[in-house]
Amino acid sequence: MTDKLSRRDFLKVVGAGAATAAVLTGCGPASRYVTREPYTKMPEYNYNGQSTYFATTCRECAAGCGLIVRTMQGRAIKTEGNPYHPVNLGKTCARGQATLQGLYNPDRLRNPVRNSRGESYQTGEKDWTEINWDTAIEVVAQALKDPAGVQFLLGPAPDHLFDLVREICKTIGAPAPIRFGALGMFEARVTLGEAARAMFGRPDTLFFDLANADLVISFGANFLETWISPVAYTRGYSKMRKQRTRGILVQLEARLSQTAAKADLWHPIKPGSEGLVAAALGKLYAEQKFGIAPAAFEAVDVAAAAEAAGLQLEALENLTALLLDADRPLVIPGGAALAHEHGLEIAKAILALNALLGNLGKPGGVFHTPVSPLGEEYRRPASLREMAELVERMKAGKIKTLFVHGVNPVFELPQALGFQAALEKVPTLISFATFPDETAMLADYILPDHHGLESWGYQRVTDGTGQAMLSGAQPVVAPFYNTKSTVDVLLAAAGLPFKDEVEYLQNQVAPLVEQTGGFYSAADLPSFWALFQQFGGWWKNDVSLSAPNAAGATEKKLNLKAVEASEQHEEFHLLVYPSPILAEAGANKPWLQEIPDPMTTVMWNSWIEINPHTAEELGLHNDDVVRVVSPFGAVEVSVYKYPAIRPDVVAIPFGQGHTAYGRYAEARGINPADLFGPNFNEAGDLAFADLKVRIEKTGKKRELSRLESKLGVYGEGMEEH
Amino acid sequence: MASLPKIPEYKAEWAEGEAGRWGIAIDMDLCTGCQACVAACSMENNVPFVGEHDAGYGRQMAWIRVERLWEGEYPEVKATPFQPVMCQQCGAAPCEAVCPVFATVHSQAEQINLQVYNRCVGTRYCANNCPYVARVFNWADYSNYPEPLANQFNPDVTVRRRGVMEKCTFCIQRIHKATDQAKAEGREVRDGEVQPACAQACPADAIVFGRLDDPESKVSKLSKDKRAIKLLEDLGTQPRVTYLKGGYHGNLG
Ligand code: SF4
Ligand code: SF4
Repeated sequence: MTDKLSRRDFLKVVGAGAATAAVLTGCGPASRYVTREPYTKMPEYNYNGQSTYFATTCRECAAGCGLIVRTMQGRAIKTEGNPYHPVNLGKTCARGQATLQGLYNPDRLRNPVRNSRGESYQTGEKDWTEINWDTAIEVVAQALKDPAGVQFLLGPAPDHLFDLVREICKTIGAPAPIRFGALGMFEARVTLGEAARAMFGRPDTLFFDLANADLVISFGANFLETWISPVAYTRGYSKMRKQRTRGILVQLEARLSQTAAKADLWHPIKPGSEGLVAAALGKLYAEQKFGIAPAAFEAVDVAAAAEAAGLQLEALENLTALLLDADRPLVIPGGAALAHEHGLEIAKAILALNALLGNLGKPGGVFHTPVSPLGEEYRRPASLREMAELVERMKAGKIKTLFVHGVNPVFELPQALGFQAALEKVPTLISFATFPDETAMLADYILPDHHGLESWGYQRVTDGTGQAMLSGAQPVVAPFYNTKSTVDVLLAAAGLPFKDEVEYLQNQVAPLVEQTGGFYSAADLPSFWALFQQFGGWWKNDVSLSAPNAAGATEKKLNLKAVEASEQHEEFHLLVYPSPILAEAGANKPWLQEIPDPMTTVMWNSWIEINPHTAEELGLHNDDVVRVVSPFGAVEVSVYKYPAIRPDVVAIPFGQGHTAYGRYAEARGINPADLFGPNFNEAGDLAFADLKVRIEKTGKKRELSRLESKLGVYGEGMEEH
Repeated sequence: MASLPKIPEYKAEWAEGEAGRWGIAIDMDLCTGCQACVAACSMENNVPFVGEHDAGYGRQMAWIRVERLWEGEYPEVKATPFQPVMCQQCGAAPCEAVCPVFATVHSQAEQINLQVYNRCVGTRYCANNCPYVARVFNWADYSNYPEPLANQFNPDVTVRRRGVMEKCTFCIQRIHKATDQAKAEGREVRDGEVQPACAQACPADAIVFGRLDDPESKVSKLSKDKRAIKLLEDLGTQPRVTYLKGGYHGNLG
């Protein structure tokens, strides 16, 4: 302990006590790893029957929640939320809980390998040969010698690996690394960022202060499931409900999602009408409140907007009354709402509505996220259009070596983008995957990174909390297999002057030692580093959210269109939503597979949700297999008659349908991304919510495993078939 | 006709009193149905997964499930508020009376319902008699995981094998740890000092655990809230889990 850590803080640490005992720091600032030792020779901080706890960061999604992992005799036993971490304050989602099943998954990659793909590449046959790490590093070093031909494709989280790769690429003159994750695609994050740039002059994913709002209108934002930072937004939701006057939630989306199930009011509006509805609400609100509507909303025809949304005019008037009644109203744009051809205009309309409601920078309103304490401009994952450009460069033979880490593009990208086919034009694909995922199976080399719980690191976290922070990660157990940290591989291959990953990290966090206003402070780097591990990161005590610039936000004209109505029975709008439990990468964890979907209670598989009336008209029953055909692909999947979805819309969750990725994921369900076409909105995000599909009977039946029917076994609620 | 022997009054024999010791309050207005509690419970208590086929056959092993039902028809359709249901730790537990080998018994110290795995012979009478469908049965040796998945087993909790009944224990291993600690320090367990895995994980803070015999505890106060209800209370089971009604009847009229 340093003298700068006050006695009170020290007691706080110790007082974490009963629940979390003491949170240890690796084994002192300088040491590299914790070691798993036999009972007879235990490290000094380990006692028989006593657990050791380590603070780290959850890597199951890009939200960056803090974890405390309970270990015993060198094994990780249980993950809990880190009670001090500003994002999740001690809580986790189901995926965070199941992260140990990634660590101890029987299908993890255990050694670096080379695939002599040669002729057999086309057929997908593999001939894996184990190599040693020296050879692996040499391979990477050789590839880096041709900087113009190098491209890094990384996962969505802005972490220390991203910082390092950016530096390397800058130094050697290679193109900047690209970050991508399917969740970002489903959240249309780029569109949100671009809308913020257009309206407030600063691109940002924005912070929506749910906790203090008394009325929330959400355009399909699934913030209780996977949206941006679900644990943080769930806490916001909970606080909103617990206010003296219970906050109201209104959800506008075509399907009653898990989030919509918590709403006081749900209107199943037509996909594509979100912008018109927002503008109509703006017009009605402004006319009643100020007597005149600003430029952004004046052109909208309220009756036509209601018609386009499939709503009664009365419903819009009631919503307006709620808005007029509310002290702190807030409107949130969900991903699917922006995933339309004119999605950017929709996002702008929703932000303009917030500006009109006067909530920018006010409690319960919209804020700019804090700037990372390491200093940075807005850095976002790639849009789908940028991914398409990457594919073009691959096809043109411009990329000689593609490095992939933390993302599985063969599975996550729409097939119509042609990523897999373009790989044939890439001479060398090097994957750093921990699991034999679809992309790794096509690689020439797999140089497996450690699992997140075996790794050092940090992550810049700006979403979900108003406190500027850096989330810290450390190994909670020694690496299980012959894997190697990708940072170490790159440091060695690029010949950078750092001894190892830890030295690199210490160098990166060094500027924080000087900063004031933090949760703790230390006199020197080694002490700071110890505290950084102990608390699982560093953050400022004060909230530093800033008010977006409202000037002119409601004065810009918007170009809003309705999408053409689909002809009943012929074509249906397809709504693809990320599975709340599996999200983009959970399918390889058996316990996540067996957790019932919150709305359908289906386990271990995929399904298509169809309104019961539509199903009846089509002559479909539960568990009937249908063929879902889009202009770009087709999938076969079992029917779930979903009582709360528009009759002209069908929905399929994303997360299943792997052709690799280990025994628990492989050959299970279907991947709805196979149906997507390469249609983008103005911001470059995939306009996936515009997609229409046909539904064909197959005459087959495949029974879904549902928890619901368990109750049936005991007599109640037996489903008709 | 010979006179029947006098059968003791069921409740007088088995009921432990109205108060109870440990209890849970679940706010259904806050629960978002996210299933973090389900995952957390399974990880803490070595609850196995059974695979797609058995799960569909009603053999899923989770000790806690989140119920939702549908009401009405489109477009006037609603999902009822999510309701996490686990063993209600009845003060007068119907399961206990029917176990022929006393495998499910009431603990005097914790006043909760215990399952003694090595006594259980798998008659499943208890599951049959549980009005809350809280009990799950090991139809196979589900915990024979491929290596090294078993590394994450919690050493504080027994791994069950085939033919044994199991259910939520209110994380009794955590209660024991906290009580021992308090005892060693010569004090009572503090409110909030011990939390079962579900309550600890719940991102919405919907689950509150604590001492029912301490009128000042959070859970005691919530149990007396005007929104408080108990599941199937009229059966006289004296459930130790309280639900706080929530959902649509709020301020929208
Ligand atoms: S929200 Fe994301 S980071 Fe947080 S616990 Fe869940 S998976 Fe982990
Ligand atoms: S963790 Fe909490 S919010 Fe999530 S399902 Fe369980 S009780 Fe509900």
